[in-house]
Amino acid sequence: MLSGGDTSDIFMVKENLDVMKWAQQGFAKPLTDYIANSGFDMSGFVGMEPNYAVDDVQYALPFRSDFWVLFYNKTLFDEAGIAYPTNDMTWEQYEALANEITGKSSCKYGAHNHTWLSAVANFAVCDGVNTLLDGEYSDLQYFYELALRMEASGAIRPYTEVKAANLHYSGAFQTGDTAMMPMGYWYVATLINNRKEGLYDFDWGTTALPHKDDVPAGSSFGNLTGVMINKASQNKDLAWEYISWLCGPEGSQVTAATGNRPAWVSSEVADVLASVEGFPADENSKAALIPTQVSIEIGTHEKLAEIQTVLNEEHTMIMTGEIDVAEGIEEMNERVAEVLE
Amino acid sequence: MAQATVTGKQIRKDNAAMQLVGNVLLYVVLIGLAIFTLIPFVWMISSSLKLDQEVFQYSIRWIPEVCHWENYQLIWEKVPLLTYFKNTAFIAIVVTILQTLTSSFAAYAFAKLHFKGRDVLFLCYISTIAVPWQAYMLPQFIMMRSVGLYDTLWAMVALQAFSAFGVFLMRQFYQGIPTDLCEAARIDGLSEYGIWARIMPPLSKAAIATLVIFTFVGTWNDYMGPMIYLTQDANKTVQVGLRRFIQEYSSDYHLIMAASLVSLLPVSIVFLSLQKYFIEGIATSGLKG
Amino acid sequence: MAESTVKRRKRGMSRLERKNTLIAYSFLAPNFLGFAIFTLVPVVCAILLSFMEWNGGSISAIKWVGLDNFAEIFKVEKVAEKWAEGNYFYFFNRVDLGIALKNTVFYTVVTVPLTLVCSIALALALNKVKGAVAFRTVFFFPYVASMVAICVCWNFMLMKDGPINQMIMALGINFNKSWTADSTMAMWAIILVSVWRSMGYYMVIYLAALQGVPRELYEAATVDGANKWQQFLNVTLPQIKPTTFFCSIMLIIGCFKIYDTVAIMTEGSPGRATKMLVTYIYDVAFNQIKYGIASAISMVLLILVLIVTVIQFANEKKFANV
Repeated sequence: MLSGGDTSDIFMVKENLDVMKWAQQGFAKPLTDYIANSGFDMSGFVGMEPNYAVDDVQYALPFRSDFWVLFYNKTLFDEAGIAYPTNDMTWEQYEALANEITGKSSCKYGAHNHTWLSAVANFAVCDGVNTLLDGEYSDLQYFYELALRMEASGAIRPYTEVKAANLHYSGAFQTGDTAMMPMGYWYVATLINNRKEGLYDFDWGTTALPHKDDVPAGSSFGNLTGVMINKASQNKDLAWEYISWLCGPEGSQVTAATGNRPAWVSSEVADVLASVEGFPADENSKAALIPTQVSIEIGTHEKLAEIQTVLNEEHTMIMTGEIDVAEGIEEMNERVAEVLE
Repeated sequence: MAQATVTGKQIRKDNAAMQLVGNVLLYVVLIGLAIFTLIPFVWMISSSLKLDQEVFQYSIRWIPEVCHWENYQLIWEKVPLLTYFKNTAFIAIVVTILQTLTSSFAAYAFAKLHFKGRDVLFLCYISTIAVPWQAYMLPQFIMMRSVGLYDTLWAMVALQAFSAFGVFLMRQFYQGIPTDLCEAARIDGLSEYGIWARIMPPLSKAAIATLVIFTFVGTWNDYMGPMIYLTQDANKTVQVGLRRFIQEYSSDYHLIMAASLVSLLPVSIVFLSLQKYFIEGIATSGLKG
Repeated sequence: MAESTVKRRKRGMSRLERKNTLIAYSFLAPNFLGFAIFTLVPVVCAILLSFMEWNGGSISAIKWVGLDNFAEIFKVEKVAEKWAEGNYFYFFNRVDLGIALKNTVFYTVVTVPLTLVCSIALALALNKVKGAVAFRTVFFFPYVASMVAICVCWNFMLMKDGPINQMIMALGINFNKSWTADSTMAMWAIILVSVWRSMGYYMVIYLAALQGVPRELYEAATVDGANKWQQFLNVTLPQIKPTTFFCSIMLIIGCFKIYDTVAIMTEGSPGRATKMLVTYIYDVAFNQIKYGIASAISMVLLILVLIVTVIQFANEKKFANV
């Protein structure tokens, strides 16, 4: 649309890469002047806004932040007589729990991993130190081995099956035979909506993602959805007023009321989020709304697309069992090094 | 002599038996192949009557537990499918007419007329078929935009009505029509235009039918073109509209199957109605070596 | 006197020739105009682009880089380095372009003959059996259905424990892996779907062609004592040579350009096992936003196809009827 000369005032930014692309191509209006002039306080973004800056120039404001949580099917746990997952589990405990509940009553799978790399290995960035762009991927080994072990023990649906059937994660969880699923927070709104449409009828809740031993509980990773102003817009000032309201303290509460998680972090927002109809009414789920630390899923980089291509290709090789994990990691290191050369 | 007749009858009987076995085998193979070809369609029909989460259930249920016939109604409500159909029909019909006319016109020149640069020009045509559309898509897009055709149905017409493929196909078919016929007509005083209009059509009905089918189907099923050039919802075509059922955060595979099946209908009608041109075997028509 | 007349005729065209040429051009004009504007010009631009660098942004950002793009996609330096080390196949095993080339060529070499044979066989069979129309419609259906539906459906059928694997196991072959999850079988999955889809299409073309073979030729052959197979080899095949020329060129080009099937069924996975030339082009052009490089890859494709086409074209002139 932008290449077509569209004059819409604002555009939603879904991928970090888009910010870079549009900034490079001159479609996005730099926001630094507006921020300075209106005294907009960026602290509510808890350090996520640099992800929308290219060369220290802010091009977009974070609108929604969809960090990852663990969804679980309360009904299945009740039926099996097993305690719910908590906000403070290690990955080992998570694996044990999944193995325990698999096969009990109507539970077919203890957990479900979607096919994305972010659903399997991205958890490595939760420690706030490792990233997907540093060219060093041995931190992913732990998670690949975890996922493949769980496949082998029958606790999760095999990757090849999910991929071949193009099974959507909402379909997987909503069949009601899967006990747990790590997924992005955006899924809450879908779940609430789908219940209204009668697509399922079990109870569910959320907890924080499991963590590694040396990583604090409540750490997560996530992605941002942002808004930017079109350089070709005829109403840039009005646009700024709108997006600064939308992403700031007031607009974020409105967003929260629809069940979506705004990027802005505040206790008011958390309250609104928890009060949306259909939101699980337990303390755990509410506590999951306030992550202690959110790392970005994958940052911006000049060669982001190429790195992503390499990582995704190796991801499929590892998950289909075509090469073993150690080899796969080595390939990632080697090929990304070539890209970065 | 009696012996020879007996042997003759024997051979004929054996031949008849062999023929029967051969025929039966042929039918068995054909039917087997046909079933193999149809399996995905049976799956499509069965999926179109399920709920989305049932579509990919691991143990395939060919006959759904509950037949959700309302899916076929839902597809018209969830997205403006009727508008999409109208747009697609418009594009398909206009492109087919334009393509058939201009291609057969040009193909006649390549096949039956001699002029300077004929072969080089033809090679030029074929080479453009070789370039993947993704490669020249951008310059094409920039050009369309500057001419003001962006987001109009005419853009799709412009892109598809003048393809090299049609010219190539018709030229091959025309090559099969004996040149003597054309010569005779020329001697009789018929102009080249006359030959094109009077002599060629009766002899190339199968060819024209083929081109019509392929152009119609190709345009009807085109996805990339409409996706890039048509942004307004009111302009979109069926294939693009179908994708609305699969978004990143939700998917309605059952509806996609239902809508795909419905969109198969117009094409099937076109195909079936043109079948008669394939059955009429005119002795010296169509393609020859 | 005779000499000068001859000399005069050789210079320039006669009035008749000029008139014929004009008429020919008038036939070409409607199609050629549209073709030139909407297809030829962009293609020429794309060719030029392969020598330029354009990574998004406005048109003024384009700059000439000569053969740099080609050096980059062929990874000339790295390949030379590895060659010196004795690793001769580095290009085909590790470089994106080499892998894409290898996959695409393999795919083409297998799919083209398979499809041709299947479609001729079908056309012959459906030229005279009862219920031909019904059969033809059935076999043409795959070409007509939407790619999304087809690929999704086949993916499902080729899964572990799916119907296809069950049939294979029933035949005693011990294979039960999801086709698209296996580096080797993913390619065969794509070949299978492609042949399944195209055989109906080319069957229709061959049907039209078969209509034109004069019955007298067959009758003459029968009188001469030729059996069905000999008739096929000596009457049918030669008569439909122009069609075979057309079909094989379109098939080869189509195979080199394959995109949809791969994008929907395997997305190039596992790893790069089904990375084809056009999926590679698409990735570079629309994910990495490097239009110059994408054009360079397209040029490689174009040159390959041109070579094949010219060879076939030269062969065709021997058999053309004009």
